[in-house]
Amino acid sequence: MNLAFWIISAVTVLGALLAVSLRNLVHCVLALILFFIGIAAHYFLLRADFLGTVQILIYVGAVAVLILFAIMLTHNVTGTDGPREILGVKWWSGAVIAAALAILLKKAILSDPLAMVLPAGDKAQSSVAEIGRALVANWVVPLEAIAILLTAALIGAVVIALEEIQKSR
Amino acid sequence: METIYQILHTTFANVPAWAVQIAAFLIPIAFIFGVYPAIFALTTLVERKALGRIQNRYGPNRVGIFGILQPLADGLKILLKEDIVPRVADKFTHFLAPVLIVIPGLLVYLVVPVAPGMVAVDLKIGVLFALAVGTMSVIALFMAGWASRNKFSVLGAVRAVAQVVSYEVPTVMAGVAVIMAAGTLSTLTIVQRQGGGLLNISNWYVFRPWGLVGFALFIIGGLAESARCPFDLPEAESELIGGYHTEYSGFKFALFQMGEYLAGMAMAGVTVTLFLGGYMGPGSGPGLAGGLISMLWFFVKLAGMIGLNIWIRGTWPRLRVDQLMGFAWKVLLPLALVNIVAVGFWHFLTPRPLAWIITTGWLVIWFLVLTKCNASAKLEKREYRYV
Amino acid sequence: MNIPLGHYLILAAILFAIGLAGALTRKNAIIVLMGIEVMFNSAILNLVAFWQYKYFAVPTAQLFAIFAIAVAAAESAVGLALVIAVYRHYKSVDVDEMKELKG
Repeated sequence: MNLAFWIISAVTVLGALLAVSLRNLVHCVLALILFFIGIAAHYFLLRADFLGTVQILIYVGAVAVLILFAIMLTHNVTGTDGPREILGVKWWSGAVIAAALAILLKKAILSDPLAMVLPAGDKAQSSVAEIGRALVANWVVPLEAIAILLTAALIGAVVIALEEIQKSR
Repeated sequence: METIYQILHTTFANVPAWAVQIAAFLIPIAFIFGVYPAIFALTTLVERKALGRIQNRYGPNRVGIFGILQPLADGLKILLKEDIVPRVADKFTHFLAPVLIVIPGLLVYLVVPVAPGMVAVDLKIGVLFALAVGTMSVIALFMAGWASRNKFSVLGAVRAVAQVVSYEVPTVMAGVAVIMAAGTLSTLTIVQRQGGGLLNISNWYVFRPWGLVGFALFIIGGLAESARCPFDLPEAESELIGGYHTEYSGFKFALFQMGEYLAGMAMAGVTVTLFLGGYMGPGSGPGLAGGLISMLWFFVKLAGMIGLNIWIRGTWPRLRVDQLMGFAWKVLLPLALVNIVAVGFWHFLTPRPLAWIITTGWLVIWFLVLTKCNASAKLEKREYRYV
Repeated sequence: MNIPLGHYLILAAILFAIGLAGALTRKNAIIVLMGIEVMFNSAILNLVAFWQYKYFAVPTAQLFAIFAIAVAAAESAVGLALVIAVYRHYKSVDVDEMKELKG
C-alpha cells in the first residue's frame, strides 16, 4: 500500500509539471486532467470515497471541459503558446520563487512533531449519510451560501461572456 | 469480488491466499472483457437486422445463416483498412481520443451486479461512481473533434459535448430519486431492496409512480448520453458528414463505435439495476441454481433494454439541436426535481393508498403543466385554394 | 499503509509550488488559470490529509473540502468568462498585452 502512495504521487506531480510547462494548450489540459485524476486517487487512498468521486465528477467532468471550451473560443492560429524563453528572466524568477516557497514549507512541516503521525486506518470511515446529515443539520448556512454563490457565478459568467456579442451587433 | 474470493477459498482450500486473491481479482475482469464486447458484436448484427425489418427489408443475411457471421466479417474488414491520419492533425490527441472513449464505457460495468453477490467491486458509492465515470467520456468527444482540425468535426464535437452535459443533469437526478428510496448508494444493496414481494417482481422500482417517471427520464438520458437516435445529431450524416469521428478510419473508427455501443449498454445495465430490479426475478436467490437463474434474468432484462433502444432508433426522427437542449433544460430537469419531491411524499405518507394517490396526482399535474408550458406554437389551420 | 502525515503535507507543498510557478511564468491567461486550479487542489488535498490522520471523528473537513471545490469551480467559470471577454477586446490572451485599464 505504501507503493500505491508513491506511484500515485509520481503521477500527480508529473501531471502538474506537464500542465504548466507544455507548449500546446490542449496537451496542457490533458496533463491537467491526469493531475485531477491523480488527486482523486489520493482521496480514495485517504478513505474519502465521496470526495474522490465528487472530484472526478466536478473537475474532470466540468472544469476541464470548461477550460477546453475557453481554449477553443480564444485560440491563436497555431494553438501553441509561442516561443518559450527557457532561460529568460521571467522564467527563472518564477521558478526560483516557487522553489523557495517549497523549501520553506518543507522546513516548516518537518520541524513539527505532527508530521510523524501515522494514518488512522480503519478508524476513519466516511459515509455519505453522515456527510448528508451534517450538511443539512449543522452546516446548513454554508450550504445555502454556496447555493447563492453558484447561482451568482452562473449568471455572472453568462452576462460577462455574452455582453460583447450584444454590443458588437 | 469478495463473494468469488470466498467461494474459491472454500473450494480450493490448500491454495495459498495470494493466488486465490489474484484469481478472485481476474475472474470478474475476464467476465467483463469477454461477455460485454461479445454482446456488443451480437448487438451490431441484431440492430441491423431489426432496423431492416422495421424498414421492410432484410438485414444482412449473406455472410452466414441469418447473417450470423457478419460481425466477424465486419471486424476483419475494419482491421485490414488503412489508417489515415490527416497531416495537420494533432497526432497525440488524435491517437488518444478513441482509447479514452472506450475506457469510461468499460469502467461502468464494474458496479453492475449480475447475480447475488456477483459484482466486480462492491463500492459503497457504486451509483455515484457509475455516473461520475460516465462524465469522463465528454473529454474524449471534444478531443476527437478538435484534433482533427476540421471545422465540421469541431462543430460536431461541440454539439456532442453540449448534448451530453445537458442530459447528464436529469439523468443523475432521476438516479437520486432511487437512491433516496433505497437509502444507499451501493448497487448491490439497491438490487437486494427490490427483491421480495410477489414473485420477486412487485417490488421493482419501475412499478412505483416516481419509479416510472424516473425510469422514463433515465432511458431518455441514457439515449442522449451515448448519442443514439433520436439524439444522434453529433453524428448526423446528412448534416455534419460524420461529426467528431469524420477523420477516423480503420480500427480507430471501430473503437468509436465500440465505445458508443458499450456506453449505451452500460447505461442500459445501470437502468436495469436501478429500476428493473437487477437480477431479481422469480426463482432468483443465493446458491448455485438461484445464482444461475438470477444471471439469466439479468441478461434477459438487459436484452430487453437494448431491444427498446433499437426499436426507438428505428422509429423516431432525429431532434434538432435547439429542440434537444430545450427539452433537457425546460422539461426533463423540472420533471426530475418534481420526481425527487414525489419520493419524499412517498416516504413520509404512511397509509399506502394515500401515498399512491398523492404521489401519482402530484406527478401527473406537473407533467401536464410542463408539457403545456413548453408546447410549440400551434400551426394555423391551412386554407386550401383550388385554383 | 504507513505513510506519516508529513509526506502528504510535503506533496501538497510541492504541488502548490508547481502551480505557483505556472501561474507566475506563463504568458497565456488560460494556463495561469490552470496553475491556480493546481494550487486549489493541492490545498484541498492538505485538508483531506488532516481529516484522515487526526480529525476523522466528524466529517467537518470533508464538508469544508466540498465547499472549497464548489467555490473553485465557480471561480474558474467566472475567470474563464472574463478571459473570453478580454479576448474579444484585445484579440489575444497574452497577459503581457493587457496593460491598459481604459478600454
